[in-house]
Amino acid sequence: MRRFTTLLLFLCLAATTAFSGGYQVGLHSMRNIGMGLIGTSLSYDASSLFYNPGGAAFVNDKWSFSGGVSFLMARTTFQPSNVMGQANLEHQINTPLYFYAAFKPTANLSVGLAINTPYGNGLSWGEEWQGRYLIQDLSFKAFTFQPTISYKFKNIVGIGLGLVYAYGSVDMNKAIPLQGVDGDGTLNVNGSTGNFGFNAGIMVHPDKGWSLGLSYRSKIEMSVAGANATFTVPQSLSTNFPASNKVDVMLPLPANLDFGASYEFGKDNQWMIGLNLCYVFWSTYDSLVFDFETKTPAVNRTASPALYIDQMIVRLGAQYKINDLITARIGGYYDPSPVSSSYLNPQTPSTNQIGMTCGISVYPTKGLSIDAAFLYIRGTERNGTFSPDNFAGTYNNAVYSPGIGLTYNF
Amino acid sequence: MKKILFIILSLAIFTACERKIDEPSVTNGSADFTRFVTIGNSMMAGIADAALYNSSQKNSISNLIAEQLKLANGGNFVQPMINSEYGLEFPGSRPRMVLGYAVDCKGVTSLAPVPYIGTRDPLAPIGYQVNNLAIPGAKSFHMLAPGYGNGAFLAPPVRANPYYFRFCTEPTNPDFMVVNEFAKLNPTFFASWLGDNDVLSYALTGGVGDSITSPALFQMAMGGVLQALTAGGSKGVIANIPDITAIPFFTTIPYNSLVLTQSQADSVNMAMALYQLPFKYTAGPNPFLIAEPNSPHPLFKVRQMQPGELVLLSIPQDSMKCKGMGIINPETFMPYPIPSQYVLTADEIYNITTATATYNQIIQGLAATFNLGLVDMNAKFEELQKGVVWDGIKMNAKFITGGAFSLDGVHLNPRGCALAANYYIDAINQKYGSTIPHVNITDYPGVIFP
Repeated sequence: MRRFTTLLLFLCLAATTAFSGGYQVGLHSMRNIGMGLIGTSLSYDASSLFYNPGGAAFVNDKWSFSGGVSFLMARTTFQPSNVMGQANLEHQINTPLYFYAAFKPTANLSVGLAINTPYGNGLSWGEEWQGRYLIQDLSFKAFTFQPTISYKFKNIVGIGLGLVYAYGSVDMNKAIPLQGVDGDGTLNVNGSTGNFGFNAGIMVHPDKGWSLGLSYRSKIEMSVAGANATFTVPQSLSTNFPASNKVDVMLPLPANLDFGASYEFGKDNQWMIGLNLCYVFWSTYDSLVFDFETKTPAVNRTASPALYIDQMIVRLGAQYKINDLITARIGGYYDPSPVSSSYLNPQTPSTNQIGMTCGISVYPTKGLSIDAAFLYIRGTERNGTFSPDNFAGTYNNAVYSPGIGLTYNF
Repeated sequence: MKKILFIILSLAIFTACERKIDEPSVTNGSADFTRFVTIGNSMMAGIADAALYNSSQKNSISNLIAEQLKLANGGNFVQPMINSEYGLEFPGSRPRMVLGYAVDCKGVTSLAPVPYIGTRDPLAPIGYQVNNLAIPGAKSFHMLAPGYGNGAFLAPPVRANPYYFRFCTEPTNPDFMVVNEFAKLNPTFFASWLGDNDVLSYALTGGVGDSITSPALFQMAMGGVLQALTAGGSKGVIANIPDITAIPFFTTIPYNSLVLTQSQADSVNMAMALYQLPFKYTAGPNPFLIAEPNSPHPLFKVRQMQPGELVLLSIPQDSMKCKGMGIINPETFMPYPIPSQYVLTADEIYNITTATATYNQIIQGLAATFNLGLVDMNAKFEELQKGVVWDGIKMNAKFITGGAFSLDGVHLNPRGCALAANYYIDAINQKYGSTIPHVNITDYPGVIFP
C-alpha cells in the first residue's frame, strides 16, 4: 500500500505540466478520470449513462448514483513573438460537475439521468494585456441533461439511447481599439441558449473479462439568439456603437465517436486495463460568427475563422483493487490540438496535450465509495499566430485538476 | 486518508507556479548602439497633431527605436524636450490639435480636429546636447546650411530653423551646420529619415509656395550628410520616402465631393452656360471648380477637377460649405474656384511622384555606397494604405478612422510611430544580424476620441 501511494505520488509529480485540446472537457466521473478518462467500455456505475448508454444496462445494482466535482486550474503563459513581456492567465478555478442516477426496473433494462458539463471554457487574461483586442476574459459553460434508456440482451449486448438537452451560457469581454481619454473601448457579450442532441451507444461483452463499447454523441448547435452586446466607447462614437445592442452567436458543440475496449483479469477481476479512442468532429467549428441586430457602419456581422480540424484522442487506463476497502487507478492520454497554427487564438489557447491521471476509491461500506482523482495535463509548448488579427506568440500551458466524488450502488 | 490529504496539499502548492517560456534573446549583432543618433525632419522629431509637444516627443519614432536599442546595450538617448503638452511658441507656430466638436458656418456640430489651447513652451536654447537631431521642416540640404541653428537668422530673411535653434550646440556661430553636430556626438549608430520635405513642402502648399529640390542637390546633400555621419565609423539605417500624395492630408477630401441637388445643379448649369463655361453638373457628387491660369476663357481662369487630382486638408471648409468655394459664390453668383494652394493638379502630382522616385533611387544608391541598412518606408506606407493589422488593431492611411495618422493628416500618431519604429528595427536586424525586439504596438494610443 505504502509503495503504491508513493508510486502514485511520484507519477503525479513527475508529470510537469494542460484542458482538452479545444473547449471540450473530459471530466465526467472521478473513477474514469483516474483511469485516463476512459469509459466507453465500462459499466461500473451510473456514469455509463454518459460514457456509453449501451453500458448502463450492465450495471449490476438496482440503483446507482454518482456525483462529483473537479477543481480545474489552468496555468497558461504567453510570450508574444518578437516583443518583450509575457502574459499569464489569471488564476481561476473552473468546476466541472457531474451527477448520474440510474435505476433498473428489470434485470435487463436501465433508465437514468445524466447531468454534466462536457463543454466549457473559462479564462481571463486581464484587461490590459497585449491580446486584449482579441479577448480579455471568457466564460463559456454548457450543462447537459440526458435522460437515457438502456437495454441488454443476454448479458452480451447492451444498447442505449439518451436524449441530450444542452444549456449553455457565455460571457465575454474584449477591448476595442478605439480610444477615449479613459482608454480603450470595450465589448461585453453575454447570453444563454439551449438545444437538443442525442447520445447513443452499444456495448458488447464477447468473452469472459472482455468488454467493447462504441458510442456516439451528436453535435449540438448552441445558437445564442439576441445575446446582450454592450459597447462602451467614447461618447463621440456612440451612434456608431449603440450601447445596448443584441447579437446572435453560434458555437457548435462537436460530435464525439468513442471506441473503448477493456479487459478484467486476476483474482476476483482485481485488475482492469482499458483503451479508449475518441474521435472528435471538431471540423464543425468553422468560424465564430457575431451577427449584431442593430447594424451600423462600424458594427456588423463578423466571422472570425476557427477552422478546427478533426482529432482523435487516445486514452489508456488501469484499475487495481487493492482490497475491499481501496481501489487505485492510473491512466494517461494524448489529446492533439484541433487548432492549426495559423488560427491559434488566445480565446482558446489550444496545445497538444498529454494527460496523466491517478485516482483512488475508498469504500467505507459496501456499495458506497468516495472517489478522488487527479488529472495533470501538460501542453506542448506551441508557437502560433491568429492570422486574421496578426496576433503571434508562444503558448505554454498546464492544467491541474484534483476532484472528488461519491458513488453509491445498491 | 492522511496520505491522500498530503498528496492533494502537495499538488496545491505545486500548481502555484507559472509556466515558463524563454524570453526572446536580444543581441546587437555586428552593430554598436552605445551612441545612437537620429536625423531627419518632423517625422523623426516627433511632430504629431500639428505640433511638437512633450508626449509626442516621448512617442517619437526616434525615441521608440532608441528604447528598443537600449535592450541591446544601447546608450542614453537625449531629446530636446518641450515642457508643454501644447507645443512650442514662436512666430508662425501652430497650436496642437485634438479631436473635439466644431460648429461650422451652417451651425452643424461635428467631430473635427480643434486647437488645443494652453501655455506653450517659449522658444529658447535648451543648453544641452541631444541625440535626436531631427528638425521639423528641414530638407536634405538644410543639413549643410550654415547658420541653420543661429538665432540671429530667425528674423527675416529667415535662414534658420526655430526647432534647431533650440538645441544647436553653436547657436551664435553663423557658419555652423547640422552636419557639424555629428563629430561632437561621435555616433556609433544612426537612423535617418530625411528628404520627405524636399517634396512635401511643395505639396503642402499646393505646389505654389515652395519648390521641389533638384535631384542633383538632393544627391549632394544626402551624400554629404551620410559622409559626415559615417566619418567616425558609424553604422546605421536610412529610410526612403513614401508616396506623400497618399497621406490623409491629400486623400481625405475627394475631388468630386461637391454634392448638389437637381435644382442646384440646374441653376449652376444655367450660370455656367451664361458664362460660356463648358462644365456640366448633375444631381449627386460633382468635381470641384479650381483655378486654372492657362484657361483659354477670357474672364474665368477655372476648370473642373479631374479624377486623381487632390484637395488639401488645409482648405477652409467653411468657404466651401457657405461661400461656394469650388463652385459658385452664392452672393455674387460668380464662379468661385478653389485657389491653387489647396489643390494638387495632375502636373503637380507628376512632379512629386517623379521626384520621389528619383530620390528613392538616390537613397538606395547611397545606402549601398555607405553600406547602410535601408528602411523601405515607401513600400511600408503602400502596405499601410491597403491596411495592416497588428494584435487585432486594424490600421490604414485614412484620416482619423485609419488609426495610424495624427490629426494633422501628415504625421503619425503614437501607434503609427510604433509601427514605423518596428520597420526600422526590422531593417536594423536584417542588416546587422541583431535581434532587437519590436515595440509593443498595443502600448501606444491611436487617435483619442472625445
